[in-house]
Amino acid sequence: MPITEILALCMIGAFFVMLLAGIPVAVCLAVTGFVFGYAGFGPTLFNLVPARIFGVVTNYTLLALPLFIFMGIMLERSKIAEELLEVIGLAMGGLRGGMAMAIIFVGVLMGAASGVVGATVVTVGLIALGPIINRGYDKGVATGVICASGTLGQIIPPSLVLILLADIMGESVGTLFAAALLPGLLLSGLFIAYVLFLGIFSPQKVPAIPADERAVYSGADLAGKLVKVVLPPIFLIVLVLGSIIGGVAAPTEAASMGAFGSVALAYFSGRLTFDVLRDTVRSAFVTSAMVFFILILAQPFGLAFRGLGGERLVQDAFTFVPGGMDGQILFLMLILFVLGFFLEWIEISYIALPLFLPIFAQAGVDMAWIAILVAVNLQTSFLTPPFGWALFFLKGVAPPSIATMDIYRGVVSFIALQLIGLALVFLFPALATWLPGTIGW
Amino acid sequence: MARLLLSLADGASSAVRIIGQIAAWSGLVLVLTVAFNVLARYFFSYGSVALQEAEWHLMGVGALFGMSYGLNQGAEVRVDVVYDRLPRRLQVFVEVLGNLLLFAVAVLIAWLSARYVQSSYAINEGSPDPGGLPMRYLLKAAMPVAFVLLAVQALARAAADIGRHLAPIPVAPSGEAESLI
Amino acid sequence: QEAFAWKMTNAYSPSSPFYVEGPGSPTDFCKKVAAMSDGRLTIQHFAAGELIPALEGFDAVRDGTVEMNAANAYFWAGKLPAAQYFTTVPFGLNFQGMNAWLYHGGGMELWDELYAPLGVKALPMGNTGVQMTGWFRKPIESIDDFKDLKMRIPGLAGKVYAALGVDVKLLPGGEIFPALERGVIDAAEFVGPYQDRRLGLQNAAKYYYTTGWHEPSNATELLINKVAWESLPDDLKAIVQVAAMACNLESHTWCEANNAAALKDLVENHGVQANVLPADVVARLKEVTDQILAEGAAADPATKKVHDAFMAFKAEHDQWSAISERPYHNSLAG
Ligand code: NA
Ligand code: NA
Repeated sequence: MPITEILALCMIGAFFVMLLAGIPVAVCLAVTGFVFGYAGFGPTLFNLVPARIFGVVTNYTLLALPLFIFMGIMLERSKIAEELLEVIGLAMGGLRGGMAMAIIFVGVLMGAASGVVGATVVTVGLIALGPIINRGYDKGVATGVICASGTLGQIIPPSLVLILLADIMGESVGTLFAAALLPGLLLSGLFIAYVLFLGIFSPQKVPAIPADERAVYSGADLAGKLVKVVLPPIFLIVLVLGSIIGGVAAPTEAASMGAFGSVALAYFSGRLTFDVLRDTVRSAFVTSAMVFFILILAQPFGLAFRGLGGERLVQDAFTFVPGGMDGQILFLMLILFVLGFFLEWIEISYIALPLFLPIFAQAGVDMAWIAILVAVNLQTSFLTPPFGWALFFLKGVAPPSIATMDIYRGVVSFIALQLIGLALVFLFPALATWLPGTIGW
Repeated sequence: MARLLLSLADGASSAVRIIGQIAAWSGLVLVLTVAFNVLARYFFSYGSVALQEAEWHLMGVGALFGMSYGLNQGAEVRVDVVYDRLPRRLQVFVEVLGNLLLFAVAVLIAWLSARYVQSSYAINEGSPDPGGLPMRYLLKAAMPVAFVLLAVQALARAAADIGRHLAPIPVAPSGEAESLI
Repeated sequence: QEAFAWKMTNAYSPSSPFYVEGPGSPTDFCKKVAAMSDGRLTIQHFAAGELIPALEGFDAVRDGTVEMNAANAYFWAGKLPAAQYFTTVPFGLNFQGMNAWLYHGGGMELWDELYAPLGVKALPMGNTGVQMTGWFRKPIESIDDFKDLKMRIPGLAGKVYAALGVDVKLLPGGEIFPALERGVIDAAEFVGPYQDRRLGLQNAAKYYYTTGWHEPSNATELLINKVAWESLPDDLKAIVQVAAMACNLESHTWCEANNAAALKDLVENHGVQANVLPADVVARLKEVTDQILAEGAAADPATKKVHDAFMAFKAEHDQWSAISERPYHNSLAG
């Protein structure tokens, strides 16, 4: 094994050690990237770090991130989201897991509006984590359901991942959007089924709102309250989704309709004071910064991994795969899953896919199907500890009472659900190929 | 000694905080700019290349200046699985080490990006699109400035931790008096 | 003999046909060079995003961090306005004329002169040939149909359209489809039938206009760091030049063959209507183009020099093609 590949492995090892010691994620990434990159290829390649950072902070498709975060904070500050979840919990009556299902539902809707994972996880985390913990939900279930619902945005179209995959795999963006819809809904269905299952077998983890509290409201009271608190957020969702479907805004811009709408909503409900606005502006700034801080300081790490020829580690492993197309697809899935523990999805796509694509293309495998398998797999990689972006982002907005371990514990069952979803798409390719074929995309 | 360290750190942190509080408004300007571009195009078929470019210019400046302000407000993310079980002294050590490493990284990136800005300034770089925003080196110059601020904030936090460790006398919490920016 | 291990970055995403993969593409160029030099010059290729973002290649080559970059010179219009003349000029020269100018009409000398102060040099390494005007959701029947039309169109052509009342929208490649499909934009320009079909634009709009007045040909640029270039022995320099020239031809013939097949598929199987823009529309576009090119030349001495040289060559070349290619296309062919 060449020295550079050994250095690449050491870099990953050192990153894990620093991460576990409690050094901030962003610092671990930058330091290990610079140190091992320097050891491997000297100082020259680091001249490219500014170009990579400039590319991140001016990346048009990341615009949805600050915009949705702004919307989320505004909703949180004006207590609109909290009331919404409460009332849904009340309306669900004795059904356990009602608030968790509401979160999955919000994740699906936000996912249909945005393709940036950080944006959905942070926004849903901001508005929902506090309220459902207060309602006695198990911390693990609460964080797991938020992370998993937040990552739905990258499989439910539109999605950054699908756009990049279309580019790499030579499929049209429309084909992949259509192919991803059913698998995305399938995953959402699996999450809901799991919450229902918990409600029956572990009721204390997903409590319904106590009967005496529910008894305060009559059916008519509740219906009135429901209308009053459900309307504003519905209005925002209509604004965001409607502007995409109605051809008013491109997917990335649509987030601005939500953010702008949240200000308008606060204004018309009489809650928009200068203090509220200033607080919203500042906390939205801090929250976006938390996400960008990691993305920016991850650049030396990604550059060093490339410069050290880390992708050759994957190539070397590939030569040991036993023959057969299914064997190779399963191996690709395994590689993506393992890389997902320490690399960002963009790097993973660039490293692993070009290696496999020629083989699949030659064998005449349906590339849209492969793309969806890859997308579901990458979605899982957002959740895998210790280096799941979704986990970091949620940690960034979680109250101090939530420990990293709570989040790790919470996502395990959702990772298992994702793998079930992946297996289903693998066993029934029609889940991905039927819709694009039917509508002719 | 400890007092000097603490007051220096406090001064630096205050400067970063005030700059961050001003830069934070870029977020609202961003929301309004994107919303204006969408609505003006849809209702009045009005569009401006410069205003479209302003979208990611605003995001870029916000993302860069947000780093130091985020650190100032304690928004960095760490894995606390082991950290939470460490004795307090070791936690302070990890904390100081993390900030010193961040200081080193920030200085290095500031230095690297100064060259990047220089080569843009030397040719008076603008937008490749007609009607786009001129003077792209100004946007690029946000990089070295933001990383210097980040370095200052990281050093200030390390100094504050060392200072508190050397002189474990209660120090009045600073930075609670929010200015009205 | 000394061996050289170089790096090449690319402004296009992995596996893009023509721009990254396929006969005459940049990765093919790297293979050709390695084979011809028997491994003495190996070039490791990095698509956009692998090492640096798409449009950062110029600076990376300039400071020598990578030795080569593949892109289009008009991406550098913000750094050197004159650079766009070395990709394409609206109503300018087609594949034959452009190469005649570059190789034998003083074009490459001007290109080198423009780039020399920045420590880089360039070679043409590919060409799409004539591109398409773009995809429209509604037919274009008169110049008034451009009024308030929302169109994705980057660069100089965007400025020309804007003068006709088009509302210019900038969008990255991946967002063209969803935006066009939902009507956020009414029209979009990308490349030609083969590349456009790959984005699925035929599912979003049915009126496909030609001919690409804004890009009568489109040259791929091989950018080389000058210090690195000078360090090569003469035989390797010759190999790089010949390989670039081979790719220039091969990529173009590949496009010609594939666009023909793709256009047939679009029209026969996807209900696409391929039409020529009305003559008065084209005349007005040309008027505005001339005016905008003249403004650009007046604003920047380097641009003026290239502009004048290009137009002088074109004037002469037009006379020749008026009695050679044009009559052939108009009356003899087909
Ligand atoms: Na999505
Ligand atoms: Na992961």
